[in-house]
Amino acid sequence: MIGINNVSYTYHVTDSEGKDIYREVLKDFSLKINKGELLVLTGGSGCGKTTIIRLINGLIPNYFEGKLEGCVTVDDMNISAQPIYETAAKVGTVFQNPKNQFFNVDTTSELAFAAENRGEDPKDIIKKIEKVCESFRLSDLMDRSMFNLSGGEKQRIACASIAVTDPDIVVLDEPTSNLDDKGIEDLRDILIKWKSQGKTIVIAEHRLYFLKELADRVLVLDGGKAVKELSGKEFDSLSLEETASLKIRAVDEVYKKKFGDEELRSLLKSNGTIDVKDLSFKYSDGVHGIRINDMALPKNSLVAIVGNNGRGKSTFARCLCGLNKKAKGTVDFEGKEIPLNKMTDRCFMVMQDVNHQLFTESVKDEIMLSIDSNDEETCEKKAKEAMEVLDIGSLSELHPMSLSGGQKQRVAIACAIASDKDIIILDEPTSGLDYYHMVEVAEVLKKLVKLGKTVVVITHDTELIDECAQCVVKLKKYLI
Amino acid sequence: MDFSIQTFKTGGERALLDPRTSILAIVVIGAIMMGGKLSGVEYVLRVISCMIPAVLLFVIKKYKTATVYFLFMAVTMILEGTAVQITSGSLNLVFVIISGVVSRFIPQFMMAYCFLSYTTVSEFIVSMEKMHAPSFITIPMSVMFRFFPTISEEGRCVMEAMKMRKTSKKKPSLTQKLEYELVPVMMQSVRISDELSQAAMTKGLGLDRKRTHICKVGFRLIDYVMIIVLLTCLALFIIY
Amino acid sequence: MDNKKNSLTVKDCINIGVFAAFYIVIFFVTSFIGYIPIMLVVLSVLCGIVCGIPLMVFFSKAHVFGMVTIFGIIMGLFMLVMGRPWYSILTAVVAGVAADLWMKTGEYKSISKAVIGSGIFSLWMLGMIMPLYFGRDAYLLSVAEGYGEEFANTLEKITPGWSFVLLVVLTFVGGILGGLLGKAVLKKHFKKAGMA
Repeated sequence: MIGINNVSYTYHVTDSEGKDIYREVLKDFSLKINKGELLVLTGGSGCGKTTIIRLINGLIPNYFEGKLEGCVTVDDMNISAQPIYETAAKVGTVFQNPKNQFFNVDTTSELAFAAENRGEDPKDIIKKIEKVCESFRLSDLMDRSMFNLSGGEKQRIACASIAVTDPDIVVLDEPTSNLDDKGIEDLRDILIKWKSQGKTIVIAEHRLYFLKELADRVLVLDGGKAVKELSGKEFDSLSLEETASLKIRAVDEVYKKKFGDEELRSLLKSNGTIDVKDLSFKYSDGVHGIRINDMALPKNSLVAIVGNNGRGKSTFARCLCGLNKKAKGTVDFEGKEIPLNKMTDRCFMVMQDVNHQLFTESVKDEIMLSIDSNDEETCEKKAKEAMEVLDIGSLSELHPMSLSGGQKQRVAIACAIASDKDIIILDEPTSGLDYYHMVEVAEVLKKLVKLGKTVVVITHDTELIDECAQCVVKLKKYLI
Repeated sequence: MDFSIQTFKTGGERALLDPRTSILAIVVIGAIMMGGKLSGVEYVLRVISCMIPAVLLFVIKKYKTATVYFLFMAVTMILEGTAVQITSGSLNLVFVIISGVVSRFIPQFMMAYCFLSYTTVSEFIVSMEKMHAPSFITIPMSVMFRFFPTISEEGRCVMEAMKMRKTSKKKPSLTQKLEYELVPVMMQSVRISDELSQAAMTKGLGLDRKRTHICKVGFRLIDYVMIIVLLTCLALFIIY
Repeated sequence: MDNKKNSLTVKDCINIGVFAAFYIVIFFVTSFIGYIPIMLVVLSVLCGIVCGIPLMVFFSKAHVFGMVTIFGIIMGLFMLVMGRPWYSILTAVVAGVAADLWMKTGEYKSISKAVIGSGIFSLWMLGMIMPLYFGRDAYLLSVAEGYGEEFANTLEKITPGWSFVLLVVLTFVGGILGGLLGKAVLKKHFKKAGMA
């Protein structure tokens, strides 16, 4: 049983000037979690759910700096007062980003890692790995490089590596943020398995639909306080209006609007088309790939590209954008036939990890970098316009890397606008975003369409599609 | 991601040679190839040294690489023995540089390549621990190897993003290019390092804890044979 | 973040590993010039400048004695395997310890000391050319054998004994230049982004 007793926590960080900043996240917070319970913590960004996770797994106070009042107990162990390696024996953690939580280069070593750290007998460890391998069905992932796995596969290995040490409690911090549909499905299977083993599970999440019929209790947090507590049944039956009013994501994964072929056809007729012709690409394994004979996308509209496979969608986006050198094909755009590798002049892609595309030391410079003009005045004007559309004028002098994820994304989109490119492609712009910010992104995308751009969104976020997409293209039939 | 720089092997059978033997091989081959004279005993030692990787490559079934390497080295060694001594002037310089650079560095690289092909990072780290390397050396080394592919991945993403930003405006200067490439990757590295530390701590990694290993590392017959060969070559090399 | 702790933590070790990887990659790419024996002479200066940037970012994370030393040890080990003269391990360890001690005098908080620390640390690269000066005859002889008499003579002519001192100074200056570059990057980017 986990007990959080009258805990107050204030983070202590130093800002760019060297000044101390204190950020109070929890105040006099108490929570009891029963053994074998699957508790979901949800709420807007900054509500405190991640902090609670860190209290349970010991990262607070062993890693993070700040002021802690109250105490956290797990079965009579005082977590806040013991070294983290002792807590690690009882509490396993799955983090948000599959790419950055593995310590080893190959999968088998990663599975053994936690057990090796505890000094367990190698023979026992090997037996345990075999057992976990079987129950998690990982045989095809053994002895492979972590770098060749998909996000979902990496997350499965992360979960399996915890399963090897078999802790009683597992905490997960937004584990589906970077996963595609299949990855989320696999994670759900793992949670079901763990629950059946009697483990206590605490998940902090935005994405809620996969927890339907799984959660025993759901806590909605805001500003460090629980504003609503729901039983599993109550949670399962939440309607879209109710979740919107609670400012959390939907529990049901169903489209409100209709996105059928008819809608697509009428849109193509009214707006004109961008035709992707003869696109062919094969992955390095020589077997899988993409083959598109003719795909028509409506101009000046918001197209959502969906499909189960996260990799396939991103690959398609990169092909369309001209970033994929091995892809062949052409795009009929505004009467011209453009080969794929020249599409970088027409397309701007906002990548899933925005950090890769921010280079300069101020938002303004970043936007100016995208402007294709030698005239100082034009540049200034364009930059100002772009910042206005995205409402980031106040951030103009700040360093892009100091901004929040959502703000960084808006800077990237501002660069897209300033670049005057006609097609803007966004790769999973709302993964890991809470309800409020997802709606914000939808509003921005709608603005882009009004400006005359063609917006292509690669996503599996049903709510986002409902909010702003005008048509949906399924990628499945084009994947080999 | 389809491809990224892999350093070590990723699982499978146990390493052909104990990592310590392999490293001894790299060092000895390097020493002999670097400093060796081109005649007499030394020449023989050089030939032996540069053939060791070829043999090993055959054993680990990398036939194509082994053959190419073998032919390459044969040609180079012959060049060294003949062309360099005969010609002079700029032609000499050309031969010198080609054969010199190749013969001095390639065998060692090849041995390192072999080593990386049949050894996993874990085996390497375990062998270091057997040599009583403290954890504040082995942990950074593990992380280092784990990070090389990450750097290449991140670097590639950044370069792609830069490609999209290419404007017909003033071409970025060399320092700017450097800045735009290095800085985002470094910042990512800092971020990744933080997340990695958190994950490692929740998995019980500690500096003063005794760790166990599932991979098997130790000297076998083949190691002893190789060590004797290497030490003999080294001894002869020093004597002559 | 953990600046209050006075001992080496797991996080520190991970930071060392991350930046060592970075440093090595940059060093490696820059050092390809050094495989041509002539260029070996200027290699240490050039690398000092370029590698100063990641080095300074690493220094900003160093807060306890040992981190820079370990960094140096790892560089040395790497050089051993990469086939540079064994002097390199020696110089790497010595330079690491020296830079560490130097920065300790500033409690690891002084950035100007870090810049000089970069200069001190960069001296490890001299290990690569040491055989040219210490054990000179033997080295030149082997060069003559391997690369021909003419080459060895040219090499000898352009590197008289006193040029070693010059190289030490130049490498040190190169390291400082790299440190200044790194300082500028830190200020312009990392500090501004709140990540220093």
